[in-house]
Amino acid sequence: MPPKYNIHTSPVPNRFQSITKSGVIAWEEGCLKCARCVKKECVYKVYEKRSLDTRQMLDTLDSECQDCFRCVQNCPNRLIQKGLNPTYKVLGDHYWTPEIISSLWFQAETGRIPVSGGGYGGPFSGPGFDAMWTDMSEIVRPTRDGIHGREYISTNVDLGRKLMFLELGPDGSIVSPAPPLVEIPLPVIFDILPWSPPREKINLSLLECAQSLGTFTVVRQSDLTPDLEKYLPHIIVHVDGKPENLPPELIKRLRMIEIPDSENVMAVQAMLKEENPQLVVIIRMPLNSNASERALQLTGQGAEVLHLYADEYGLEEVDQPLFIKERVKEIHLRLVEEGVRDQITLIASGGIAMAEHMAKLIICGADALTIDIPLLVAMECRVCRRCKEGIACPVEIDQVDPAWGSARIRNLMAGWHNQLLEIMGAMGMREVRRLRGEMGRAMFFEDLEKEIFATMGKRG
Amino acid sequence: MDQKSAGLNITIFFCQQLDANQDANRRVLERELGSRIKFFPLPCSGRIEPLHLLRALETGADRVYLIICPEGACRYREGNLRARKRLAFAQGLIEEIGLEPQRLELIQTTQGDQLTIDQRAHDLLARKAAFGPNPAKLQGSRGQANNARTLEPMNPGTPDVYQGVHYDYSGKKTFI
Repeated sequence: MPPKYNIHTSPVPNRFQSITKSGVIAWEEGCLKCARCVKKECVYKVYEKRSLDTRQMLDTLDSECQDCFRCVQNCPNRLIQKGLNPTYKVLGDHYWTPEIISSLWFQAETGRIPVSGGGYGGPFSGPGFDAMWTDMSEIVRPTRDGIHGREYISTNVDLGRKLMFLELGPDGSIVSPAPPLVEIPLPVIFDILPWSPPREKINLSLLECAQSLGTFTVVRQSDLTPDLEKYLPHIIVHVDGKPENLPPELIKRLRMIEIPDSENVMAVQAMLKEENPQLVVIIRMPLNSNASERALQLTGQGAEVLHLYADEYGLEEVDQPLFIKERVKEIHLRLVEEGVRDQITLIASGGIAMAEHMAKLIICGADALTIDIPLLVAMECRVCRRCKEGIACPVEIDQVDPAWGSARIRNLMAGWHNQLLEIMGAMGMREVRRLRGEMGRAMFFEDLEKEIFATMGKRG
Repeated sequence: MDQKSAGLNITIFFCQQLDANQDANRRVLERELGSRIKFFPLPCSGRIEPLHLLRALETGADRVYLIICPEGACRYREGNLRARKRLAFAQGLIEEIGLEPQRLELIQTTQGDQLTIDQRAHDLLARKAAFGPNPAKLQGSRGQANNARTLEPMNPGTPDVYQGVHYDYSGKKTFI
């Protein structure tokens, strides 16, 4: 058995003050000048360590505060007012919520998994991934030692086309050549970012991290620069120009390449594989109502890997969009029905914001997935999308030190990897490859609703 | 010449209660003027401290505005009254070092006006440029290092100011 995959983490401090959920709202006046001021009694010494970030005019008071409210409660004249920070409330949008963003920041900063206590106060179910619950039937004993100690849970996945059987010659030799396979130690690939400030340093951060994790980063053909050469074994080149313009020596050195779906996509694949037979070709195709038919067609024609993408909210870019998990489920089941599912690898992307989304999408039938916005959030992005409008990034992500950026993303991935282990441990699964398509290990809100309420309210 | 064409650096502190959609509204100006205009939303104008205003001047602003809610309309009761006093206090401090106190200015909104933050900023930019660039801007290497500088202690040399004692803004220029 290969050694246990472990992602090394270390705390990586923020460059900017993070936006906190609570903060001082206003300072009252009328100090009584007590001999023992509550500010001096702060157990976290936040008032003594106070400083001001002049770029954002943010006070360390808010970010260092642990919300014990001793000062608020004990000041005899009630001079300190703390409350929900309005800036926090407007972070991101309806999908990339402040809770998701701050949880990603926490994971990227500390490398730890977010643990929330005090019970769950949220709604029973919600849209998208929140309408899905994973099985936890195996939590029958303390699992800590199991998952992180002696038990071996593999998160490796294989990308490429798989043979369903071997053809043997009369002399017993194998005559069906095995197609190339690429194995990655966790089912995550770093995707092209939907928006970002100038990408040079961001790409370096992603590549540095992909290299240290053993996974891949998708880089546009037009973004390839000579200084990325040392990362070539971890680059998936996304062909955004003419495939003929790719230098043959580059194709020969690549392990994976991504081409957009088109009429003659299989011809392009054949051309690329002629240059480098060991190359795994990924076909990037949008999710829509025709996607399952197209996936079936491409599988029949010999496609190796399909990258199914939705937008940043996990929705299809059509009028009546379906959420990614529904469509991936449909495609997976269609391929299963036709008996070809195991021949092909499905990578899904769009709207993956948390570790649980990763596990849920795999349950819906994806072999692996790619992530984008969480990578930016790991580097302190506030999902304000100013860069998309051509405004300078408020946290200067274009200026990140690649070593810092890569360490932040590594921390985030360590958090996600550990959560994936937790989820699989709770299900009693030992292989992420076996989790794929295991819909019996999850409950879907729509199914439950139908099961329970379908017979009610029927007239006549 | 108005302040926009004079190329002045403007910093605007404002109460977030004034414009619920401030983050989207201010973007057009941010794109147009880049680092020449800086918006700092506050949860309540009562959160402002003289140090914010002084640091804004120190880090390159030529004019600093503080936009507060109409009198009697503060969501946290008296935040706007406190802001007024703190700005006056900071004005006194900059006057003492020879700067025009009007570089810091309070903009009191009026009841019923529904202007968005960008409309207010446009009004301010269209004002006549009464002063040139701020002479207190850091010169030389320290000035260039402004962007690199992130956290600065709030209380250099006066440890009591922030640790144990609230400011007394009663018009006297003493802390205690």
